[in-house]
Amino acid sequence: MIKEKIRFLFYMLTHPVDAFYEIRHREKGSMGLALIVVFLAGVAFCLDKRYSSFVVNAADTREVKSVMYISAMFLLFFLFCIGNWAVTCLTDGEGRMKDIVTATGYALLPLPLFYIPAVLISQVIAGDEAVFYTLLIAIAVVWALLLVVMGNMIIHNYTIMKELKTLLFTIVAMVIILFILLLFYSIFRQIVEFVKSLYTELIYRV
Amino acid sequence: MKRWISFLVLAILLLAEPVKASAQAIPYDTYNYDSKRNVVFTPAAYVPEDVFFGSELSCGDFAGPKDMFITKDGTIYVADTGNNRIVVMNIQMELLRVIDSFENQGETDTFKNPSGLFCDKEGTLYIADTDNKRIVILNAEGKLVDIISDPKSDVLGDDFKFVPLKVSVDYAGRVYVIVSNVYQGIMAFNQEHDFMGYFGTINVRITLAQRFWRLFSTKEQRSRQQQFIPTEFTNIDIDEDGFVYATNLDSTGSQAVRKLNPKGIDVINATYNSKNALAGDMGFKSTKDSYQGASRIIDVKVREDGIFSLLDSNRGRIFTYDNEGNILYIFGGMGTQEGTFYTPVALEAYGEKIYVLDSYRKSITIFEPTQYGGYINEAVGLRFDGDETKAVEVWKKVLALDSNNEMAYSGIGKAYLSAGDNEKAMYYLKMGVNQEFYSIAYKRYRNEILRENMGGVLNVLLVLVVGGYAVGKIKKIRMRRKGL
Repeated sequence: MIKEKIRFLFYMLTHPVDAFYEIRHREKGSMGLALIVVFLAGVAFCLDKRYSSFVVNAADTREVKSVMYISAMFLLFFLFCIGNWAVTCLTDGEGRMKDIVTATGYALLPLPLFYIPAVLISQVIAGDEAVFYTLLIAIAVVWALLLVVMGNMIIHNYTIMKELKTLLFTIVAMVIILFILLLFYSIFRQIVEFVKSLYTELIYRV
Repeated sequence: MKRWISFLVLAILLLAEPVKASAQAIPYDTYNYDSKRNVVFTPAAYVPEDVFFGSELSCGDFAGPKDMFITKDGTIYVADTGNNRIVVMNIQMELLRVIDSFENQGETDTFKNPSGLFCDKEGTLYIADTDNKRIVILNAEGKLVDIISDPKSDVLGDDFKFVPLKVSVDYAGRVYVIVSNVYQGIMAFNQEHDFMGYFGTINVRITLAQRFWRLFSTKEQRSRQQQFIPTEFTNIDIDEDGFVYATNLDSTGSQAVRKLNPKGIDVINATYNSKNALAGDMGFKSTKDSYQGASRIIDVKVREDGIFSLLDSNRGRIFTYDNEGNILYIFGGMGTQEGTFYTPVALEAYGEKIYVLDSYRKSITIFEPTQYGGYINEAVGLRFDGDETKAVEVWKKVLALDSNNEMAYSGIGKAYLSAGDNEKAMYYLKMGVNQEFYSIAYKRYRNEILRENMGGVLNVLLVLVVGGYAVGKIKKIRMRRKGL
């Protein structure tokens, strides 16, 4: 069963249209596997920043924080999924939350798949050959973006124009969600402060 | 009781012994920027040696002096603007003479607010006689040679006012003048002192946002908007090869000095400015300075070996760069202590020492290099002369004093690279965050390893291929036999 799911994950890379259709209608995907791919994508970013050769990567290795990279990856992923779900619910999208998470997660597969070879190649290149490294990174990002758009389009059964419009609104939704989260965060902080000061006040008075 | 009192006195005497300061207190921060533009604190490169006040002069105090020039043989000329005179001193700060008048067509002529001056190798003195709207040229004996005034040309309008602020002269005798309220560039005059044209014009930069808002504004609105005019030049200096170093005001902090070739093209910008903002402070937005905004670079001095220093009148800092535009060291500040300024106006150098003229305080502050600053000057000089191996020794001394100095690491790395020691070069270039040269070193190192091991690797590969082929054949034959 698991073997089959993993094989399907790689089948998706070359046959995205069929694969995303089957994720939506034939339950071929797996949410767990999608989350693992997201995690791997985060790991790939860390590896790139931390272990890419100095020829292509001047990042201060002391300042690469893997937990931050991976959690940022997940935050962005869930923001997108929730934002997309919120928008597509209103615009006749056929995909369920489960499908959005699965399709988007699967679509990120090119990132770990290409970043890790890029990191390896960066160890032996120098000078003008840095182009090979940038090429691999570019392929990874472009392919992943294409898959995200296609996956989203197919699970919701949209036309391409409607899909692009929806993506635009998804970004707006993501910004709004972030804004509300920050608002809640600051309100929560203030409540905590208030309770704290109330407590100290009571301690001194009673 | 007596014993007690004597004990007490002894104790007080012991405690009261003056404590000697272990390090010389310097009234300013000395720091530098690393490759990621973070502030890195460094040892002091220059410390104040002495302050000379105009009141020590036998001819009376300065009054708002605006410019200073020190010749190669150590004669100091100060444009004592408020007193309408030029004060000439030797390097020991002893008064030589005062020039307050000259013979002009049989009559005694004087200056009016002279605010810039320059002295060439023969001792000919060029004085920007600002409010008389002319440049007075006197020879070493103080006799009038020529006067540049009221230049005529098609590019100058009829109402053009020639108000010279600063003046400089190159080896061929061409005169470069910064004129008040002229945005077209530096005015250049040929050997016969005829106007040649504008020089080194700064292009106007319009940001995308400005362009966007202009799209929506009507003609009337546009005419009322702030005009897009180039920034003014503030000062000039000329090196021995005829390159003109011109400073300008730049509120964005991107480029405040230009090294112009005889065609008026900025050569530093074209080659090196990708990494180094030649504008003094880089992180001015986040620092908690009492002055906000970019450095206000108002003077430049080309020193030996292509090193040049800039003077910032906003924070009273002196920024020093090498010939490639890498920042070497920063010192100076605003304040009232020795080594700080109130209104710094002019920067000069004699040997390794740096002289700064303070207009309001009527003083000249003399800075001398510390061991650290001296080593940096020496190493940059050696590299400028092409003596990289000797420079390595000096860079290593710099590293012993300041192990964060990326310039030193890069310098050592480059020397090892040209000496062929690629592995050591890689280490030092990485420490110096020099990707470009690290890449070269790594390529050579890799090719070296490949060359050494290529034979072995190829042999192994050959054996594997031939062996694999043979095994395959044998298997096939066996299969066929079984099949039979």
